[in-house]
Amino acid sequence: MIEFKQVSKKYPTGQLALYNINLTLEAGEMVFITGHSGAGKSTLLKLVAMLERPTKGEVLIGGRSLSKLGRSQIPNYRRRIGFIFQDPHLLYDRTVFDNIALPLRIAGMGQSETRRRVQAALDKVGLTGRENTFPLMLSAGEKQRVGIARAMVNKPTIILADEPTGNLDPELAQDIMFTFAQFNELGATVMIASHDHALVERMKKRTIVLQKVD
Amino acid sequence: MTTPTNKKVAPKRNTSTTANPFSAWWNQQASAIKFSMERLWFNPASTWITLAAIAIALSLPTSLHLLLKNMQTLTADKREVPTITLFLKQSVSEQQAKDRAELLSELPEIDNVRVVTREEALADFRKITGFAQTLETLDANPLPHVLILTPRLSLLGGEDMDVEDLSKKLKAYSEVDDLQIDVEWVQRLRGILRIAERIVLVVSILLGMTVLLVVGNTIRLDIENRKEEIRVTQLIGATNAYIRRPFIYNGIWLGLFGGVLSLVIVHVALLFLVEPVTQLAKLYGSTFTLSGIDVLMTLQILLASSVLGVIGSWLAVGRYLWQSDDAIK
Repeated sequence: MIEFKQVSKKYPTGQLALYNINLTLEAGEMVFITGHSGAGKSTLLKLVAMLERPTKGEVLIGGRSLSKLGRSQIPNYRRRIGFIFQDPHLLYDRTVFDNIALPLRIAGMGQSETRRRVQAALDKVGLTGRENTFPLMLSAGEKQRVGIARAMVNKPTIILADEPTGNLDPELAQDIMFTFAQFNELGATVMIASHDHALVERMKKRTIVLQKVD
Repeated sequence: MTTPTNKKVAPKRNTSTTANPFSAWWNQQASAIKFSMERLWFNPASTWITLAAIAIALSLPTSLHLLLKNMQTLTADKREVPTITLFLKQSVSEQQAKDRAELLSELPEIDNVRVVTREEALADFRKITGFAQTLETLDANPLPHVLILTPRLSLLGGEDMDVEDLSKKLKAYSEVDDLQIDVEWVQRLRGILRIAERIVLVVSILLGMTVLLVVGNTIRLDIENRKEEIRVTQLIGATNAYIRRPFIYNGIWLGLFGGVLSLVIVHVALLFLVEPVTQLAKLYGSTFTLSGIDVLMTLQILLASSVLGVIGSWLAVGRYLWQSDDAIK
């Protein structure tokens, strides 16, 4: 499903984030990416989401190289991906409902279907009844869960999460990891970058450790 | 027995979230319209200021245009228009004068001919205070028959204004003693109006550009405020068209409502002018009334202002997207 072929990424600043990565993920697999900060975990995820392009090598999704994707095809490709950021990047002038509905609105989905899907997503992350709340009134954990609901709501085939539990208490972090596992069981390919070793070990999934290159 | 239909069909497991393309397109338009409308009231004070700026910029060329149009109708008004007066020789009888008038009215250059007999002229003259007594002292009517011709306006408006030729032709008739042409002022006025038309055009273009810049700048600020939102929507798969759409609608609303407001301003200004203008016209013995903005012109103004709004916002968003595209690369 996701394949890295001799991928290197060097930022314009001269920083070498990834060097010669070869990695294959099967469809429906769930993997953790760990490693020290600065080891390139975020960069790896960004390459899949096409937020960055590799300087060498290629990333293949479903057998197709991302480098062959034209600029106009990127939006469509991104709709198949749910990206969860460490900071959930919510829109603070809109309700929880509108935040979660965003990907569906981008896809042009009708009102009733949107409502149904958003409710289902809220239900899944345990925020039922909070749809008319504004993000400022939510706790960090709740915000993170809104971010997850937004990433899930259009049933993406690939889920990428960059330190999704970074600033959550352990219990909540565990809950959220289980939510990801649930999505994985429903068929999504999941990649999670995390430095929380204890938590990663408890999940008993394939773990990829990135070494810092110097 | 009818089979009970299960209304709540289990949702299909379908990873594709797009409905059929048309309804998806429609849903996107509808939500962009709704969102951009709400956005206008998000910061009412700044919206009103922007609308006022647009309205003022639009009402200036509109009122200049109206002024011009009114002056043109003034010169096109039959009663006001210029005449060529033919003074016939004393020897010409009233019947001959009327025959000549008949013939003249057949000429292509002439719109109509009025005969003023010497008796009528005398009666008119007598009405003018102070002359009645003077006239008493005369034993015979010294006035000739007079033909008053109204030339066709197309002749006056044309590039080669053959008024000279016409006057030569008229002078050649044996009945004609003298003639007096009263058309020069119209020709001059028309010349001035043609220059004024150009000025209005230039002013319109400049102020149209002002509207463009006002809308563009407003949208640019809005984009600046919503950078984060744009970035997030791009990350979750928004196309450039999707990002552009609410801003374009925003531009349409600014242009359209600015246009409506400018129409209100011009209408109020007209109301303010109607009374003194009618009074002045009355002093000149004219029934001239100010012509206002008709339906067609209203639609033209609204269309033009909306189009300016679209162009202004398109430029602002285009510039931003172009820059951000480069940034992603």
